[in-house]
Amino acid sequence: MTAVRIADVHKRYGSRRVLDGISLELPRGTKLGLIGPAAAGKSVLCKLICGLEQPDRGELEVFGESVVGKREADLGPLRKRIGMLFQNYALFDFLTVEQNVAFPLEHGFGTQSRDRAGGELTTEAIAERVAARLKAVGLAGSERKLTGELSGGMKKRVGIARATVADAELVIYDEPSAGLDPVTTQKIYDLLAADQQRTGATVLAVSSDVTALATFVDEIAFLYDHRIVYRGPAATIADSPNSLVRQFVRGELEGPLDQAGPGMSSDRSVT
Amino acid sequence: MISAIGAGALRIAQEVGGIVLLAGQVLRALIPPRMDTRELWKNLYKMGNRSVPIVVLTAFFSGALMMLQAGPFVKKFGATGLAGWGAGYAVLREIGPILIALMFSGRVGANNTAELSTMTVTEQLDGLRALAIDPVRFLVVPRVIAMVVMLVALTAIGDLVALVGATLIGRAMLDIELSSMYYSITENLKPYDFLHGIYKSIAFGVAIAMSSCYFGITVRGGAVGVGRAVNAAVVAAAVSIMLLDFFLTYLTG
Amino acid sequence: MRKQIEGIGEATLRLCREGLELWRVYVSTIAGLVRGLTKRKDKIARRGRAKGELVRQFHAIGNKSIIFIAVTLGFIGMVMTYQACLQLGRVTGDYSQVGSQFLRLIISDFGPTLCGLMLATRVGAGIAAEIGSMKVTEQIDALRMSGVLPIDYLIVPRFIACLVMMLVLAVLGSVVMYFAGAATAHYSFGVNPNTFFDLSFIRPRHLILFLLKCAAYGAAIPIVAGFCGLRARGSSEGVGWATTAAVIGSSFAVIVLDFVLSAGALWLTGGDL
Repeated sequence: MTAVRIADVHKRYGSRRVLDGISLELPRGTKLGLIGPAAAGKSVLCKLICGLEQPDRGELEVFGESVVGKREADLGPLRKRIGMLFQNYALFDFLTVEQNVAFPLEHGFGTQSRDRAGGELTTEAIAERVAARLKAVGLAGSERKLTGELSGGMKKRVGIARATVADAELVIYDEPSAGLDPVTTQKIYDLLAADQQRTGATVLAVSSDVTALATFVDEIAFLYDHRIVYRGPAATIADSPNSLVRQFVRGELEGPLDQAGPGMSSDRSVT
Repeated sequence: MISAIGAGALRIAQEVGGIVLLAGQVLRALIPPRMDTRELWKNLYKMGNRSVPIVVLTAFFSGALMMLQAGPFVKKFGATGLAGWGAGYAVLREIGPILIALMFSGRVGANNTAELSTMTVTEQLDGLRALAIDPVRFLVVPRVIAMVVMLVALTAIGDLVALVGATLIGRAMLDIELSSMYYSITENLKPYDFLHGIYKSIAFGVAIAMSSCYFGITVRGGAVGVGRAVNAAVVAAAVSIMLLDFFLTYLTG
Repeated sequence: MRKQIEGIGEATLRLCREGLELWRVYVSTIAGLVRGLTKRKDKIARRGRAKGELVRQFHAIGNKSIIFIAVTLGFIGMVMTYQACLQLGRVTGDYSQVGSQFLRLIISDFGPTLCGLMLATRVGAGIAAEIGSMKVTEQIDALRMSGVLPIDYLIVPRFIACLVMMLVLAVLGSVVMYFAGAATAHYSFGVNPNTFFDLSFIRPRHLILFLLKCAAYGAAIPIVAGFCGLRARGSSEGVGWATTAAVIGSSFAVIVLDFVLSAGALWLTGGDL
């Protein structure tokens, strides 16, 4: 069964084209990585999947239900099953770490854990889950801290905890390791892998760090020039038959990517 | 509770002190007047142009409002000849300068603080300093001058529009003849009434400009800080306007 | 020439569209309010609005503005009385009406309107800054992802708090203004306080106008400010823009509403106010 089905989606902001006919399918339980030059539309695609933005044209289905043209209130049940880590964490700066992680459970629609019959969670049950999640991401002592007191890595981890606290069936990570040092990056990806192992969720991960990403996901898709131009196994991404992908992944300066694509500067004199 | 008041008072004192220091720097930069004239013209254009519509509308409504308040009273006593004078007096001396200053503070002052704080937060001010350019001389001084000049000009224009507004409403809702209003205004209002308002607008302009620039360049903390800076600037400007109005009214009668 | 007309047409269309959006926000807020009030079941998991958020808003909007309002309205009261007495001194020399007319003006117009203008700058900027920075840091999106409607969670508490606080602060401000005026009249012009404190001119219609204006301003400010906050885009510039627009928008709304309500009252009472 497909978790996510995207068919011929187009999106423009005013006169600026962002996505031009994107088609993608994510089978349940798989992990897909999404890479591409800056400002190529990767975050926009993530938001489209969650229904946070609406496409101009095309179809988007999550777990068989369409997210196009739905009102906010109707998207609620579907969003229960999706967890999202935002690129800039989007933590609530007026709440503590604990309250941030508990938020989806308290304010949304309860949770959807597989061994429960649905309905509301008690305050104790929520507190237990939050504590368990914070321990899993390595922030056990920081419940009462405000987001302003946290480092970048810690904020990312709170974001991950919040995205996964409701045992979502589809988890989207937008740049889980951006701006972090190599050791922390590895720890984060280990954490994401352990989570996925435990819950069997479907994962979509956007990242600019292709090497680390490749150790986590099964397949990688390359978003370039407003389309998906390649999709293949993560393990062999550096030797992909597609020359665009090869150049991008290896970080080479010479190659077909030189035709100034979105966000790419063709001015080689500026290093 | 007492410590909270004390802390609040200290903070206000600190900010007032900071603004005074900045004012000192601005004054020093004006003697001799050496500044980036391109920045000056750019700001004059931006601040004047941007505010004319809203100021004109505000002035029109304030004039009309004053008429609505003063008119019935005057009419009841049969002194329609004094209607123009009654409304006009209040408009030229008080309502005009104050409301226009408040609107200006909201439109231009807040915008200016937003711009300056964005520049500070994105470290552009540090960048200027690294190039041995004094941000105060380069950025703040032209803006202060532009804001004062523009507020005075806008107050002058606004006063006229307000009188027009009062006249029209007098005709429309109170059946006071246009000619009657015209004579009433020109006979009874003296040039000094107009100037009184203009002196005030100079003071208001300085207050708005200093507060706006100060909070703009002392901002801290990213997007949230920008919002707070604009908030603080607008509030400080409003309070200063009220206080200055009080003192100036008594001093210049 | 054609370009000018196109420009005007486009601007008008855009204004209408924005006006419609604003109206939608207003309706959604009321809907959210009703939604919040009708959840009477004893749910264990809190829903839609954080416990204590309402109280926090009362404090943020009300408590923190008391001194601001008292000071500004007090000074204005003094100035107005001074100017009025000066003017009267030139013409009739009769100060007996000053107190009663001043009170009438305060209740039917200046009390609520000046309070509204001050709050439009203070509270309007504050609300737009808060909500605006949440928007640009994607916290609004995060709220939506957690199944919360931003209007219910953010705007409704501020709406309620603003309505209540507007009334409270307007009353407070009016009282301060009145007494400040009395003091000025007495110390600068020798007006006997007994003459000044003359309530005989006040009629129910003045009080009704007072309440109507407080309600109108108290409703308009959070809606306009919240609307601007939710429209913020970009990063710091977006927040700056939202705050500026909120201050202007709510100040202007206060002035226009004042005009409409005053003109309406005048028309209804046939010129006798």
